Amino acid sequence: MSETVLAAAALSKGFRSGEDTVRVIDRLSFTLSAGQSMAVIGRSGSGKSTLLNLLCGLETADAGDITVADQNFEVKQGVASPAATCQWALLRKRTIGVVFQEANLMPAMTLLENVQLRASLAGHRAGGEMHWLEQLGVGAEAHRFPDQVSGGQRQRAALAMVFAMHPEITLADEPTGSLDRQTAEEVADRLFEVQRQTGCALVMATHDQALASRCDHCLDLGEGG
Amino acid sequence: MLIRAMTSHYRRHPLQLLALALMIVVATMLWTGVSVLTGQARESLAVSEESVAAREAVVRADGQPVTVEDFVTLRRAGVCVAPWLETALGDPARRVIGIDPLAMACFDVPPAGDSAVGVAGELTGDPFVDISEVTGGSGRAEQSGQLSLLISPDTEFLPEGYQRRSFQLGPATGELADSFLLNLDALSLLVLFITGLLVRSVYHLGLAQRRSSFALLERFGVTKSRLQRLLAMELTLLTLICVVPGVWLGQALANRLGQGFGLALDSLFDLSLYAGEDTPVPWQAGLVMLVLVLGVCLVDRLIPERTGYQSKPSEPAVLPWWVWALMVAIGVEMVIWAFSLVWVFVGTALVFTGIGGLMPGLLARSADAVARRQSPGAPLGRWRYRELAVMFRQLALPVVALQFAMATVLAVQALVTTFEDTFEQWLAQRLSAELYVEIPESASAEGGSRTLADLNGLGDWHHVRRGKVQLPDINAEGEPVTTDLMALSPITSLVTDWTLLESVEEPWTALSSGGVMVNEQLARRQGLSLGQRLTVGIGSASLTMPVVGVYADYGRPAAELLIDGAGLPDDFTPSFQSFSVNPGERSVKDIGQRLKDEWQVADLVIRDNASIQALASQVFQQTFLLTRAISVLTLVLASLSLLVMGWVFFSTRSWYFHLLGIWGLQPDAVRAQLRRLALLLTSGVTLVALPLGVWLTWVLVSRINPLAFGWSLPMAVYPGFWVELGVVMALIGLVIAWLIGRQLNGQVSLRPGASLAGGGER
Repeated sequence: MSETVLAAAALSKGFRSGEDTVRVIDRLSFTLSAGQSMAVIGRSGSGKSTLLNLLCGLETADAGDITVADQNFEVKQGVASPAATCQWALLRKRTIGVVFQEANLMPAMTLLENVQLRASLAGHRAGGEMHWLEQLGVGAEAHRFPDQVSGGQRQRAALAMVFAMHPEITLADEPTGSLDRQTAEEVADRLFEVQRQTGCALVMATHDQALASRCDHCLDLGEGG
Repeated sequence: MLIRAMTSHYRRHPLQLLALALMIVVATMLWTGVSVLTGQARESLAVSEESVAAREAVVRADGQPVTVEDFVTLRRAGVCVAPWLETALGDPARRVIGIDPLAMACFDVPPAGDSAVGVAGELTGDPFVDISEVTGGSGRAEQSGQLSLLISPDTEFLPEGYQRRSFQLGPATGELADSFLLNLDALSLLVLFITGLLVRSVYHLGLAQRRSSFALLERFGVTKSRLQRLLAMELTLLTLICVVPGVWLGQALANRLGQGFGLALDSLFDLSLYAGEDTPVPWQAGLVMLVLVLGVCLVDRLIPERTGYQSKPSEPAVLPWWVWALMVAIGVEMVIWAFSLVWVFVGTALVFTGIGGLMPGLLARSADAVARRQSPGAPLGRWRYRELAVMFRQLALPVVALQFAMATVLAVQALVTTFEDTFEQWLAQRLSAELYVEIPESASAEGGSRTLADLNGLGDWHHVRRGKVQLPDINAEGEPVTTDLMALSPITSLVTDWTLLESVEEPWTALSSGGVMVNEQLARRQGLSLGQRLTVGIGSASLTMPVVGVYADYGRPAAELLIDGAGLPDDFTPSFQSFSVNPGERSVKDIGQRLKDEWQVADLVIRDNASIQALASQVFQQTFLLTRAISVLTLVLASLSLLVMGWVFFSTRSWYFHLLGIWGLQPDAVRAQLRRLALLLTSGVTLVALPLGVWLTWVLVSRINPLAFGWSLPMAVYPGFWVELGVVMALIGLVIAWLIGRQLNGQVSLRPGASLAGGGER
């Protein structure tokens, strides 16, 4: 049995809407082992991005436990302590890689420099970044700026950045949402391929049923709220 | 509905609207203030010049002081004459002048200016009061203070026993006043230029953020021309609303600043000369600002091929770099070699334009170069410099405006400080004697000299003779060129301590041995240098003398030469003579009495040089205060603009700071990056402003002053002030970082803004 790298127990999160509180995640529990992948699906507003935010500490749950790489975060009354905030930042720096639908790159830096920056923040010495760009199929564009390459190439570079930091967990928020079908499939192929090679866990929020079906697990948030 | 959609951006970002409105208000305030001050100063100085020039007094031919009986005699003879009674009224620091408004009625120009006295009207101004207040009703004016009888310059006939003579109200400030006005005019233009840049940059940054909304409206079928008309209307309305408080604030500011200047002029000329009271609201300044704002913001809409709101907030330079560089080179050459002021101004404008075009690109390239030099192991440093390069490109207009404003402040500060130091030193030299005694026309100067020489315990003194001498040159009308002569004897420590611009060894000994000293104006006009021999016609003699020194002569443009009075030919007739005296152990009263006895006159003009020096210094300090205030206000405006622009711009980049947080940088570390970047931005601008400021200082002191007034000032720089300015700029950087830091304090989102799709701007 593989080691559990990410787990949530009775996780809840709601937002105030006027006088009411809309609960988008209600007592959600799951576990994910190293090398496994999980798709998070659901309609718009069902809480997919919110869940990803909770799993990397960018938002704080109202209640519940999150365990990331043996570090447990128990939340009470929806407030994160300063120590927990620091711990989450450290996890995002070295353990959790995050990819969004777009704008993952610093626009004033080349693709290679972006990868170098991300790897350096994760504490890795300069040297292997070019390898990841080539792995993701954008080695030839390494010295171009983000606005000089296509959307698909930018997403591949964003994935290269994440893998260059050797994460234990990758959170991807609709990573192919802004791409055409063919490019989306190419990017997804690369993502799963490198995820398998590196053995990291992958949590991916998506609307795309085909993409979700390629994951080991599927978490349906339904209508949300 | 369309208008609601158009303005929805400002409803969501009210601070941006507030920032634009604030910029227009402050720019209008500054421009109005400068316009009003310039106008007031020009009018005040014109009144002062007219008043001083128009004044003549009548004196008795026997040298006795005039009395009330003389006034009666002259009036009965039909002469337009007015009494002028000057006294201290108990407070030596408060000079009061009693005049008779009824007697003034025959003067075409009321000598106290309209604001102080109307014809036969009520006297409301200080220092002017009705003569009855000074005499206390006794009717003996001459016993209550120093009585003079003013006559109109048009007076042709004087009864026997009376002579006319000029009536000096105070030291002439003519050329210095011109210099001041020239500075104000130049500053006004620079202020207009800088405010134009700033308003345009703030407006276009806001416009850039509304691009997607406009594109959406266009897709909904709203035509581009309709959108542009609505935008123009929106800006016109905003400008109209903002110009009104701006004009009002500017007038209030000018009146507050101008009062000091007015008071100083009043003290100096003993006249109420300040033309700034009760001035009408300067709506013309508001109109100029309205035209400027609409012009600079909408100019792109007037050019067909560039029509559209798609233009970026700060367009890259439209000309290649070498054109800007060529402009700078030509401008510098023009300033160095120009023979007239106009070309110096044109050259300076070229240099500023060229630098404005070059600098953002140069700064961005420099930041990129530093980024490239960062080691791969320090990618955060590389990111910082890359972001800095983006900022220099995107904030080009405010960066250039701030650079110009800082350069102006640096130059004005250096000019003013140098002028103050130099002028104080020069005035102290020129007025080193405590007393100045005018030698009456009927008196024997030799007798006076003997009297002073025989007085035991008297300090140093010298006899000053002034007149005209002929130079060998012939002017365009075929007449010989004349110049002013000042002859001093004996040569004492009153002059030997002068700081000379150039001199031979032992210059004062050389002067006594038949040398000549020339003022800077004469040296420049005649191209004279040390050792060169100068031939001048003095009286009937022609003397050839070596130039042994060049002395500074600020405040008046006339060329002048200085010789030892002992070498004057006997037939030289001075136009004016005086003694400069340090009383030493003697009292002023004693010295005055001895001279009165010698010359058999009842009254003498004895001037206290210390008070003259204090008054003159006061005027200069006020003029400098004005110049400094305007330049500092310009800096405030430019800083405010950078603050607003920096804030708005950083807001558009805030996602990338969030990204750093998402990538695991602690919030404090993200804020530290923000601070470093903001400080790099403001310190970068400071660094490039320094050389421009030093260059502008050089242009002011070494090119504009000599061409305009014939004299130059020593070139000096004040690194202490550079540090002060650097600290101010650092504070602005920290405020920008603090404002953005506050925005970043909230929870971050994993959803970047839609505008960042496509790689973001770089």
